[in-house]
Formats: sequence, C-alpha cells, structure tokens
Amino acid sequence: MKMIKDKIAKLSFVGVLVGVTAAMFYAPTAAAHGEKSQAAFMRMRTIHWYDLNWSKDTVAVNDTMTVTGKFHVFKGWPETVDLPESSFLNIGTPGPVFIRAGSWIGGQLVPRSCSLELGETYEFKVLLKARRPGDWHVHSMMNVKGGGPIIGPGKWVTITGSMKDFKNPITTLTGVTVDLETYNIGNIYFWHAFWYAIGLAWIVYWLRKPVFIPRHLAVEAGKADTLITPTDKKVSIAFAVGTMAIVAATMASTNAEFPITTPLQAGLLRGMKPIEMPAPTVAVKVDDATYRVPGRAMQMTLTVTNNGDSSVRLGEFNTAGVRFLDPAVHEDDTGYPDDLLAEEGLTVSDNSPLAPGQTRTYQVTASDAAWEVYRLADLIYDPDSRFAGLLFFTDEGGNRQMVTVDAPLIPSFI
Amino acid sequence: MSASQSAVRSRAEAVKVSRTFDWLICFTLFFVVLGGYHVHFMLVAGDWDFWVDWKDRRLWVTVLPIMAITFPAAVQAVLWWRYRIAFGATFCVMGLLFGEWVNRYFNFWGWTYFPINFCFPSQLIPAAIVLDVILLMSNSLQLTAVMGGLAFGLLFYPSNWPVIAPLHQPVEYNGMVMTLADLLGYHYIRTGMPEYIRMVEKGTLRTFGKDVAPVSAFFSGFVSIIIYFLWHFFGRWFGSTAFTTAS
Repeated sequence: MKMIKDKIAKLSFVGVLVGVTAAMFYAPTAAAHGEKSQAAFMRMRTIHWYDLNWSKDTVAVNDTMTVTGKFHVFKGWPETVDLPESSFLNIGTPGPVFIRAGSWIGGQLVPRSCSLELGETYEFKVLLKARRPGDWHVHSMMNVKGGGPIIGPGKWVTITGSMKDFKNPITTLTGVTVDLETYNIGNIYFWHAFWYAIGLAWIVYWLRKPVFIPRHLAVEAGKADTLITPTDKKVSIAFAVGTMAIVAATMASTNAEFPITTPLQAGLLRGMKPIEMPAPTVAVKVDDATYRVPGRAMQMTLTVTNNGDSSVRLGEFNTAGVRFLDPAVHEDDTGYPDDLLAEEGLTVSDNSPLAPGQTRTYQVTASDAAWEVYRLADLIYDPDSRFAGLLFFTDEGGNRQMVTVDAPLIPSFI
Repeated sequence: MSASQSAVRSRAEAVKVSRTFDWLICFTLFFVVLGGYHVHFMLVAGDWDFWVDWKDRRLWVTVLPIMAITFPAAVQAVLWWRYRIAFGATFCVMGLLFGEWVNRYFNFWGWTYFPINFCFPSQLIPAAIVLDVILLMSNSLQLTAVMGGLAFGLLFYPSNWPVIAPLHQPVEYNGMVMTLADLLGYHYIRTGMPEYIRMVEKGTLRTFGKDVAPVSAFFSGFVSIIIYFLWHFFGRWFGSTAFTTAS
C-alpha cells in the first residue's frame, strides 16, 4: 500500500513538474481583444461600423497606415448602456504596438473624449505609426463612458523591422525637438536613483547600530530616551534640512530650465460634425424576424418601398461588423477581413430591381458560420431579444444607401 | 544543554545573534511592507501613479500623499514607539518604490512596451525623510501628524517637479495644444483605458488662476494629517503584543 502511495506521490510530482514546464514553454501570444465575448446586443445595437478600410496589410517600423471608415450611432441604443455623451475613439491593438499619430472624427482631431449624437453617422480616421514588429489584430473601437469598449471589426496587420529603430520626434512650442520614445528617461532614472541613495544613506545610518533586540529591551526598561543621541539629532536635522534644500534648489533650477510649461489638457470635445446623409429614399418595415439556431441563419420578412427615382436592389446586411452580401448585387473589393465577410451570405426571395414607387415584401436570410463564430447567436439569450443592423440598397448607378433596421427577434430551436 | 539554559554563551555571541536577527527582520520586513504597501497603493492611487498623463496639478497632488502616508504612519507607530527606530517612513517608501520600479520596468516596459517616461512612479522619499526626522525630533504623535502630515503633502509636488516639468512643455499637435505628457498618453495606445476615465484638472479651483498646485498641496497636507492619525493607530493595533505577552 505504501509503495502505491509513494508511486502516486512521485507521479503526481512529475505531473506537476511537466505541467509547470509545459506552461513555461507554451505561452502563446494573446493577440485578440475578446471581441467575440462582448455581448451581441452591444455590438449590434450601439455603434455600427461600416465602409472600413485598413490602408496596409504590412507596414515597416516607423511607417504609417490608416484605419478609416464610418460609424453610425444607432438610434435604438439599448437602455442598459449609457448614452455616448462621453466617448473616446480608441483603436484596438495589443498595447502600443503602433502609436496613435492622429485620430479624427468628421475632420476634427479627437485626442480626448467627445460627445456623439444618436442617429448620426460620422466619418473617422485613425493614423497609426508602426512601432513593434509582429502580427497584430487592429480593430476600430469606441469607448463609451458607462458602456465600456464597443469594439468594431479587426484585421491582421504585420509590422516588420526592429523596434529599436523606432523614432517619435516631436517639436515643442519652444522650438526643441525631442524623441518622445526616450525623452527624459535619463532624467527620471537619475532623480529616482539620487533620492534612493539619500534614503538608503538615512537607513544605513540607523542600521550601523544594533536595531531590534537591544533597542526593544531599552524601551521596555524605560530608557527609550537614551537611544537617540545628540549626534543622531544633528545628523537627522542635517538630513531634513538637506532634503528640503535640495528639493527647493532643484525646483528652482527646473523652473529656470523649463520656464514655459502648461497643465495637462483635458475636457470633453463637443460639436462633432456628422456626415450630412441624404434622407433615405427606401423605406423598410420589418414584419418579423427569426433566428434559426440549427441553421445559423437569421430570417427577416421586410416590406420595402422605393420612394426614389431609381430602382434599387438589396445588396448587404451588416450587423456587428459582419457583412452578409448578395454577390449578384454587391461584391467586396476592399480587402475586408475574411472571417467577417459572408460573400454569399445574403439570400433574398426576389431581388430583382425594385422600381420607383413600388412596394415589395422580401424574405431575407442572412446565414453564415459567423453567427456562431462571432457569438452573435447569443442574442437569443438577451433580456430584450432585439436585433439591429444596416441594410444597404444599391441603385442603378451603383450608389449605395443605408437603412437601419431594429426589431424583435424570435429564436427558432427546431 | 537543558531547556532552561541560553543558547548564547558570551556577549560576543549575543551581539552576533542580535545583528543576524536585525538583518533577517529588516530583509523580511522590507518585502512584507513592499507587498502590502504596493498593493494598497496600486488600488488607491493606481492610474495617478502609473501614467504621466495623470500627473496633474490638482488630483495627483492631492490624492497621492493622502494615500501614501498610510503605511509610513503605521510602520512608524511600531518602529518608533517600540524600538525608537527613526526610519519607518523612509523604509516603507523605499520598499514601495523598489516594488514599483520592478513593476514598471518589467511589466509596463518589458512586457507591454510602454516607455518608462510614460509610466514611472512618483517620488516620495524626500517627504518620507522629513516625516521621519519630525518624529525623531518631536517624539510626539500629535506634532508628527500635524507637522509631518502637512510637510508630506507640501513636499510631494516639488520633489517630483524636476522629473515632471520636462514633460509639461507645450506642443502644437494637429492644431491643438497638448503637453508632451498628454501626447505620450495619446500616442502610446492603452486599449483598455479610454481617455474619459483620466481624472485630471477637474474641480473648482479656478479662482486661484494657474497656481492651483500649492492649494492642492496644502489640502493634501491637511488630509494627510488626519490619515496619519488614523493609520498610526492601525499601526499600534497591528503591532500589539497583548495576545503574546507572557502572564
């Protein structure tokens, strides 16, 4: 029995060692951002990203690329998420693998948070400068105060080169050009080392003499006052006065060296300029919508009226960044991420051109594994069970117009 | 040797044992204080200490000394009143800074590549030395709390200014004025940290014009006085030997 116990103990120990070793040698890069785990309704009913473009797939260290596109702030914003009154246009990357050289909404630089209006559509651009080599998933992203990060579609971008070559030159308003990557680091190290040395000297002064046991005995014996000698007091005063003198002198010399400094800049940016969208000429009413769980497909019955002067066809349904296309109407040529693109994912019962003034009922099916892969099917577990998205109609001239849909969704389990 | 006999047979041996004990306790205490103080400081001062674009004239100046005087007050309560050792505050702060530098260098820079000029810790050693000396010279809890607490708040900003000032130089960036510190925060992407959670330059100290840092420092000093008292008694309670004293 003992032999068996010993063997189990030995094997368990070996198992733990193997486990620890395996964990040490297998540490894959966490390169994505949990976008799939974000509640489906957050991605479907808040910020709709579309017309996205990543200017490059591969970029060298110090070179730049842009992420551009539009986002629509959905009118049917869920009650459980705070309104986007304080929002920050972020970019989803694994830390500072790029630097954000600029970000704009409607042409205005947005280094700080801004207010967005429900129902409006905005153009955005993020300029990125490559810093750290590797393959990185680059997402559009909007942080909403009280709502959290609302992450948009992501695309893999490769950075080549070496991070040690990275430079980030900036010229101050006083005319000095510095490399922000390394600026002031020597000064930081110096002052921290300097004060650490002074602190160490203060402690070493006391540690020269016996510390705990004899002093404790003396205090217990009522001789505490004898433990601090006049020399100790003189040295202590020297330390305190010296410290304050150094602090005052360095403050003065710093002010002389940097006479012009400004406070940190903060404050909400208001008045973001939305895109002036023409009034949609296509009216869409969602009669019903179901999500068929076994088929990973959403079916909608839509009543569509064309109030324009050109016939239209339904080319795309976009929700949470997943694009379902009818290839007979619209094909993507922007290099949109494959995993978010269902090139033949949109089936329409009768997608012949809808003439001006005509009304038709469509049976629309958006089906693709992306419903599961991107966990959009989890929508059926939401407390208010609604879906939302963008429909894109294409007219005879190839112009696209966007119509939002927002309706209850009934799950079908059989 | 019977159980009643001492293991130490001479004065020289006693001194040697005592010194060995000193080093063991100092080494252990350093890392125990480092751990506790570091966790406390990350939780209560957190981003104000992590990022240079949080180190402003108002809230950073106000919050950090208040949150930093805690452990020094508690450790002073034990080391001074039980041992007449006068380095409690400095010892704590050096432990904190050692832990912070390990964190900033290996985690923030080595692991996630944020440059050190963006994520260096705040300087607390000058204020801690003065706090220690005030306790030593006054041998008084009240005076140390009042004078030391106030000094702790007042010395914080000037102690850090030589390191912070270069990063407060203004820059014109795409038509907007920013400091180099703001620009570091904007350039070096923190995916999980949107700009709106940055608590800087908030408040209603506008009547003091541009000179709000001294006002904030005074306020911080006043609150540090109260916090010193509170944590001093935490220290006394924590250092109690009531349950270990032989009857």
